[in-house]
Amino acid sequence: MLKMVLNTAMGASLALACATAALAEDMAAPQGDVLLTVSGDIDVTNVGDTLQLDREQLAALDMTSFETTTIWSDGIQTYEGTSLAALAELLGLTEGKILATAINDYTVEIPVSDAVEGGPIIAVLMNGEEMSVRDKGPLWIVYPYDSNKDYRSEVVYSRSIWQLDRIEVMR
Amino acid sequence: MSDRDLTYLAMKSKQRNKAGRTFAVLSGLLAFSAVIFLAFSVTKEIRLLGSANSDNVQWQLSQTEVEFLEFSKTLAELPVDLANVRQRFDIFYSRITTVLQATVFEELRDDEHFQTSLDAVQTFLRLSVPLIDGDDAALLAALPDLRQSSLQTRRDVRDLSNGGLDLFATASDKQRSAVAATMIELAAVLAILIGVLAVAVLYLNRLLRALTRREHQQHQTSTRMNAIISSSLDGVIVIDAQGSILTFSPAAEAIFGYFAEDVVGRDLATVIVPPKLRDVHYAGMERMRNGGKKAVVGKGRVRLEALRANGELFPIEMAIHSSMTTEGEIFIAFLRDITKRVADEVELVAARDAAVAGAKLKTEFLATMSHEIRTPLNGLLGNLELMSETELTQSQSRYVRNMDTSGRLLMRHISDVLDITRYDAGKMTTKSEPMDLSVLLQDIIDSQTSMAGANQTTLSWGWDGAPQNWIKSDPDRLQHVLLNLIGNAVKFTRNGNVTLTVAAQPDGDVIQLGFTISDTGPGMSADLAGRVFDDFVTGNTAYDRDVGGTGLGLSIAKRFVSAMNGQIGVESVLGSGSTFWVRLPVSAAQPVQRQPALPPPAARPIRPLQVLVVEDNEINRTVVRDMLEKGGHRVTEANDGRAGVTAALSRRFDLILMDISMPVMDGRTTTRAIRRGTGPSAHTPIIALTANAMQEEQVNFLADGMDGVLTKPLTKAALADVLGRHTGAVQPATPQAAAPQVLDSEHNAETREILGESGYARMSGVFVEEVEQFILWLDDPASHDLSALAPQCHKFAGSAAVFGATALHTQLKEMETAAKQGNDSAVMALRSKLPAIWKATRALVD
Repeated sequence: MLKMVLNTAMGASLALACATAALAEDMAAPQGDVLLTVSGDIDVTNVGDTLQLDREQLAALDMTSFETTTIWSDGIQTYEGTSLAALAELLGLTEGKILATAINDYTVEIPVSDAVEGGPIIAVLMNGEEMSVRDKGPLWIVYPYDSNKDYRSEVVYSRSIWQLDRIEVMR
Repeated sequence: MSDRDLTYLAMKSKQRNKAGRTFAVLSGLLAFSAVIFLAFSVTKEIRLLGSANSDNVQWQLSQTEVEFLEFSKTLAELPVDLANVRQRFDIFYSRITTVLQATVFEELRDDEHFQTSLDAVQTFLRLSVPLIDGDDAALLAALPDLRQSSLQTRRDVRDLSNGGLDLFATASDKQRSAVAATMIELAAVLAILIGVLAVAVLYLNRLLRALTRREHQQHQTSTRMNAIISSSLDGVIVIDAQGSILTFSPAAEAIFGYFAEDVVGRDLATVIVPPKLRDVHYAGMERMRNGGKKAVVGKGRVRLEALRANGELFPIEMAIHSSMTTEGEIFIAFLRDITKRVADEVELVAARDAAVAGAKLKTEFLATMSHEIRTPLNGLLGNLELMSETELTQSQSRYVRNMDTSGRLLMRHISDVLDITRYDAGKMTTKSEPMDLSVLLQDIIDSQTSMAGANQTTLSWGWDGAPQNWIKSDPDRLQHVLLNLIGNAVKFTRNGNVTLTVAAQPDGDVIQLGFTISDTGPGMSADLAGRVFDDFVTGNTAYDRDVGGTGLGLSIAKRFVSAMNGQIGVESVLGSGSTFWVRLPVSAAQPVQRQPALPPPAARPIRPLQVLVVEDNEINRTVVRDMLEKGGHRVTEANDGRAGVTAALSRRFDLILMDISMPVMDGRTTTRAIRRGTGPSAHTPIIALTANAMQEEQVNFLADGMDGVLTKPLTKAALADVLGRHTGAVQPATPQAAAPQVLDSEHNAETREILGESGYARMSGVFVEEVEQFILWLDDPASHDLSALAPQCHKFAGSAAVFGATALHTQLKEMETAAKQGNDSAVMALRSKLPAIWKATRALVD
């Protein structure tokens, strides 16, 4: 486990070293409606000291998809979006936690350690379609509950925040 | 308690233990499974509890209400922020969608009240969506309605929340109680498990104690067994079914010369079984292993040969027992070295054989010597008798008399020795014939009276109690015994009394006769009285000169009494006389009519006879010849049996005198040869001449066809008697002289008186006619059938008695008896005399 974390950390540091310089300049201001605002202790910003991302920018990040059932829906659903790991990589996060907040100001705390390959994603599509607020959209942090027993716990269920619109990074 | 009981108990306890163990294991397993199952159930319940509360369903429901209130608040805000209204609506919408879709709300959705509220909320949403999704103006216009309807919907949302709360509370209660129930079950099962474990612990504890105790007992038993095996004088060897030695006791070590540690584990056969017996041993072991018959096991002591370490073979005595152990059947052998005993036995047997052979040799020697002494003595006595007939001077006659006395005394001594030899060889037999005891006793007393008179001693006898004259016993032996006792008493008593008392005591079928011979003589010391019946005891030495004797008299008397199943004893006080007693069991007898005493042979004239004398001893032959020739008879001599047979064929003799023991052919064989033949003397009476006048031998002689026995030494009187008896050579006497014997005139007269003269004449006529016919019938060959002859004799004997024809009656009675006995020759002899007797009788009966 420790080795994995170290690898991830080393990989992340390396990526950060390359990406930070590029993204700091490349990350343009959002063109469309802003879906996600990242604030807090971050190096990558585009609007003031926050990083604001529209759908296209989110989609441009590494996209992942998986199928799973959830306790809030009926049957198997396909979710597609940026993995939390990719976001953490983008932000150069290796430790600490993020505070994810929904439109209705509901906030949960997610440790950065959750951001692993095959882990949770910030879904933008459900069954290939964009999610409206009524469908728990536009963003929803979904864990692949079926693939890992550990994800079928109370804690993970509480971290699966829907109608997500902002993230605050705390190192 | 027997071993079998102990085994039975052990088996029972073993079964019980097994059952107990099985029960404990099963209950333990059962309780354990129950615990596992319940623990699993509890886990499941707890997990259920967990998943039911997943994502905090109640919080979600409350949140739904909160979102609705947020939405309602946006409606009430002034100025109205339409974007906010729409967003809050959408959030609320998404909440309801979750309630509608989420699996966690499945149960709630099944509840009727909840569904009703949910339906109402859905209706509100459905009606509101077009307004929310419409343009701002329309939405603004619809706001009042929306406010209105949201006010109404608020209660439904509240119901949703509350209903959920109730349901979850109930479900939660149910689950809790289910968990509680499961917990209680679990506790109960745990209690049971603990109980079972406690019982198991108790049981195991008890088992342990029992095991400890048994182990202790086994240890003690084993110690005891070891002590027994070690101290046993017999060697103890234990082997298993394969024949391997398990135990080799110290005694076995001593016997076989091995050390236990060297032979334990080895094959028994190679250690102690001699090579030649090994095949048999292996075959036996094999047979036992296959459950076959056990030849030696449990069969007591067996004698075998065994092998010592030094290769020596020696005899052992062995007993083997088998026992069943957990390792299979074992055999325990107890062995004893009997080398010394076998040697002792061999020595003992040899000693006994030597002793028996010696005793036999002694007996044979005595018998032979007696016989060898008797034969020349007979010649001596016979010649003395002949010499006494010649003309002798007075002194010569005295010398001859003295010699005769000495000779006869010597003969008696030899007879005594022979009697003892016979008795000790178990060859003494006794007769049992009717006899008149009073007559016998009187004769004995009479014979001793003159001797007693010479010693100034009075001699008397009498019955004590009722007399029992007629008894069945052996008159010769009884006479010998009583004569000996009375003779002794008379010999030893001076100026005193000798009294014979006899008592008869009926005792069931037998009569106990008690004879008491008391004298007033010198008596005996207790020491002498104790051994007076032993051989060669000669009493008071002071009298020895007077009385003499071989010292065998009383010992022979004792042997005779014993042979007749009686007892003899003495009570005596030194100086006060002795009392000898004899007790004898006899049986009562019917009085036998005494045969008319024959007149003294010397007085009866005998016609000259042709006599054949078969005798190997020349002197004896000469004695007999001289005696016969003096009586006017003609004698033919044969010096052995074969010559006798030839002589008997040559002519008809009136009488044959036959010696018994002869070379070439003995007397019995000769007799049978003569009787078998058809020679002229085939039916001549044959008289045995013997020194061995034993009862059973005489019976044999008669069976061979002899007619009588003459005992050596021969006397003229005995010879004349035989001649008269067996030849019918009595010369016809004058009727007057014969009358008293031929006819009992007194009885005849009585019959005449009873019948009357005419009746008597008629009856006598019939009698005479019948007897005449009977005598004719006797010449008929049919009369040779003895079984037909006996009843005829009986019939005419009865008739003869009626007429007082005593001689005829006697003659016929004797014929009847002889016919019944099947004695052909006796019948022939009697038959030949019948016509003469009848002739005499007939003359008188008319």
